[in-house]
Amino acid sequence: MSLLASAASPPAPPYALHLLQASLLVLTLVGATAVVLTRQPVRQVVTLSIYGLVLALLFLSYQAPDVSLSELTIGAVLLPLLLLLTLAKLKNSAK
Amino acid sequence: MTPSTRRLVVIVALLGTAGFVVWGLTGLPPFGGYRGPYGFRINAIAVAQTHATGVVSAVNFFYRGFDTVGEEYILFIAATGVATVLRRLRGESEAGTDPQELDVPPTSEAVRMFTLGLLGFVFVMGWYLASHAQTSPAGGFQGGVVSVSAVLMIYLAGQYLRSRRLSPIDLLDALEAAGAGGFAAVGIGTLAAGAAYLADVLPLGNHLGAVNSSGTIVLISLLVGVEVTAAFLVIASELLEQTLLVGGER
Amino acid sequence: MSHPGAPSDVLLPLVVVVPLLVAAGVSALNPLLKPHHRLLDAIAITTSGAVTTLLVLILVRTSGGQQLYWFAGVRPHHGIALGVDFAVGSLNAGLAALAGLLVTASMVFSWRYFEQVSTWFHALMLMFLAGMVGFCLTGDLFDLFVWFEVMGVAAYALTAYRSEEKGPLQGALNFAITNSVAAYLSLMGIALVYARTGALNMAQIGHALAGRPADGLVIVAFVLILIGLLTKSAIVPFHFWLADAHAVAPTPVCVLFSGVMVELGLYGVARVYWSIFGDALGHRGSVTAVFMALGVLTALVGAVFAFRQRHLKRLLAFSTVSHAGLFLMGLAVLSPLGLAGSAAYVIGHGLVKAALFLCAGIVLHRLGTIDETELHGRGRELKLTGAVFTLAALGLADLPPFATYLGAGWVGNTASSHGMAYVTPVVMLSSIIVGGAVLRAAGGIFFGLGDPPLEDERRREESREETSETEAGQGRTPLTMLVPAAVLVVAAIGVGLVPGIGAAIEHAAMQLEDQAGYVATVLHGAHVVHPITPMAPEPTVPRLIDVASALGTVAGSVLVALAALYRRRLPVLAGYRRSEVTGFVANSLQSGVVNDYVTWMMVGLVALGGALAFSIH
Repeated sequence: MSLLASAASPPAPPYALHLLQASLLVLTLVGATAVVLTRQPVRQVVTLSIYGLVLALLFLSYQAPDVSLSELTIGAVLLPLLLLLTLAKLKNSAK
Repeated sequence: MTPSTRRLVVIVALLGTAGFVVWGLTGLPPFGGYRGPYGFRINAIAVAQTHATGVVSAVNFFYRGFDTVGEEYILFIAATGVATVLRRLRGESEAGTDPQELDVPPTSEAVRMFTLGLLGFVFVMGWYLASHAQTSPAGGFQGGVVSVSAVLMIYLAGQYLRSRRLSPIDLLDALEAAGAGGFAAVGIGTLAAGAAYLADVLPLGNHLGAVNSSGTIVLISLLVGVEVTAAFLVIASELLEQTLLVGGER
Repeated sequence: MSHPGAPSDVLLPLVVVVPLLVAAGVSALNPLLKPHHRLLDAIAITTSGAVTTLLVLILVRTSGGQQLYWFAGVRPHHGIALGVDFAVGSLNAGLAALAGLLVTASMVFSWRYFEQVSTWFHALMLMFLAGMVGFCLTGDLFDLFVWFEVMGVAAYALTAYRSEEKGPLQGALNFAITNSVAAYLSLMGIALVYARTGALNMAQIGHALAGRPADGLVIVAFVLILIGLLTKSAIVPFHFWLADAHAVAPTPVCVLFSGVMVELGLYGVARVYWSIFGDALGHRGSVTAVFMALGVLTALVGAVFAFRQRHLKRLLAFSTVSHAGLFLMGLAVLSPLGLAGSAAYVIGHGLVKAALFLCAGIVLHRLGTIDETELHGRGRELKLTGAVFTLAALGLADLPPFATYLGAGWVGNTASSHGMAYVTPVVMLSSIIVGGAVLRAAGGIFFGLGDPPLEDERRREESREETSETEAGQGRTPLTMLVPAAVLVVAAIGVGLVPGIGAAIEHAAMQLEDQAGYVATVLHGAHVVHPITPMAPEPTVPRLIDVASALGTVAGSVLVALAALYRRRLPVLAGYRRSEVTGFVANSLQSGVVNDYVTWMMVGLVALGGALAFSIH
């Protein structure tokens, strides 16, 4: 959070913030690729959840705490939960 | 198409799309260079006009409140759609499922202690967010999804049947409709007051940043909170019922 | 100039908000209303009827200039709009009224159609209506997207409505996935435009973009926004979802998909082009060429696929694809008469296609199947239904005085006067094939014409997704099912006969094409009575040759239908058997696999984008 605070005061060069943003962008790319390349459904849901977390941090680093909060709950918790329930149902029916 | 042809075609098409879109992206302003005018104009007038210091909320619930009505209804329709499809699949469009038929897996004591302990805090946090749209970057949507996760903790604690008794599906349906309809109805109220649809007609309060500042914004935010909570709970509980149903498909 | 809160304005928000509120109301009262189906039906019909009436009232008012409404009372300040507006001209008001009329007709039809309908059906239909109306009336690009999504999500849910079977879910999934992918692309385009202009109001964006020549960003944004709209309007190669969705959706819902939802996509193309990108893109010749190519391809592909179908709903669905191509061809000329031609065509087609689907619903209700081969001669007892269906089929084949013949004539005329002489033959050819296919079905089912089907034809695996939608084998046709169909057919004839209809529709088209006038109205509250367009208006009074060529189309359709019915007795066609090669190609295109559909969509994006990029830039 201190990084964000320092970004708010214009004189200080926001290199640290840029570094944070750049690394989060790289993580986003890696995460998205990982989600696509994960073939096993349950693992894919977990990867997706982690990816949601990365996105939430990315949004936060771009000063959008409102979007970040939504992404955190939807992307990292609710969506994976709904998917897991569906997978559980599929497993039940297959039995 | 066979999977291998499709893969080939998709790769070529996606490369083309990527090139095309990147060509468009080169026309964007430099990184971080916002050109306005929407943001500049909003920043100049929003706080004085609405007494909301959470300017994003002022845009969502006042300046572009009508968009948000549509967005709430997208959620409402989606939840209604999921409920319709799943209830029909279970073959119980009329009567609900008998609790005896549900098989709720047990959880460990530690998980139960932890989730039940956190439950109250998370729930309060959700409604704190929903009721402070005017002074913070949060609002009804964020508050709603946080309070949904509180209810889901009950399931995590292995107490799904209890929460099911506390919030029967008929009540959730009604709450969901009331949230979405209530938002749209606020606009009817402002029309009746002689102003435009969703105009801010309630008193703005004297103190910037107080809970009762910013007129209709906080009211709408709370209604959105109700709608979002109920809609996600409808979706989640329909899926839960589907999954927990003993014997699978009927 | 209008003032927020003034009584004349209040109608604009009400036509969207009232159905939304009633939908929420009936859902909230679900446990109470469930036992009272008739009350629920009455509420829904009254609501959509009232909305339609209000929209007609708005339509009447727009003849004197566009109607504006600023939500929340937030009006633009020095040309900067912070709020959301409804900017309503005659064309969008008329289209919204058509949507209202068709929703009302399908609700009346549903009165006796479903053995059991829950509250959700009514709520979803009303919200679908609200989405369509909001999409028509809005003047804000993001708001357009919001109502586009409302409309879309309601449509997916309605498609899956009979979800006890596997078919509806698969059809709804294909529909939802393709349209969602397309909508994401549109949203990306909107984001690009916002990054450039900092505006979401269409007039303001158009004004901001018009200053300098179009660069990559403008072209890419235009193409991306188009993908969502072209997918909704089932333009080849973005059309694959349509037949799958129509095959499984309940009949009253098909009425709305074919009759108006697809056409709304094309309205969106017109709105986005003339209010935002027209001046900025320039190069009208390139835009015409690209749209015309897509239109011709769609018209012909749709017609051929329609002709191949024996499943009545799929047949009608592909005929919609073909007609969407014709509408796009009219729009592509970019002249007032071209857009007016498409608009007249849309009205006529919407009414007759709705009637055709309603009749198909009656057939399903009475005879329990929808397969043309199985139905051969079994519809003889449905005399009235057969008459309405046949009349509507002739209307689809541009029979004067159906409004469709006006549309076909205007599109052809304006195209030839702008050097595109091939348009009239293409319009006639695809109308002949489509009309022939529908008339063939009519002749076989209701009149028992043609050779009885061979045994192996009876056993073809043509989809049977559609059986338990309604209790099959009903003894008689309820009036609530037949009357709406008949009324719609009469309306389609009536519209074509209204004196001065041509001038009125062309004026409406000019209102939409007048970008400078639109900017002045929306951003500065100007009152534009006489719109000025880049291309001049042309005469709309039908000439003898227009009537003659329309009659030629009808005659051609009848001949094609007869030839198809009696093909085994015709020496030329006797040896003809369904070619395995074309069958293989057709089936592998329309594979039912959503991955293929999205693949084609991406191919279409690259082709469309490439063509516009190279010709404009």
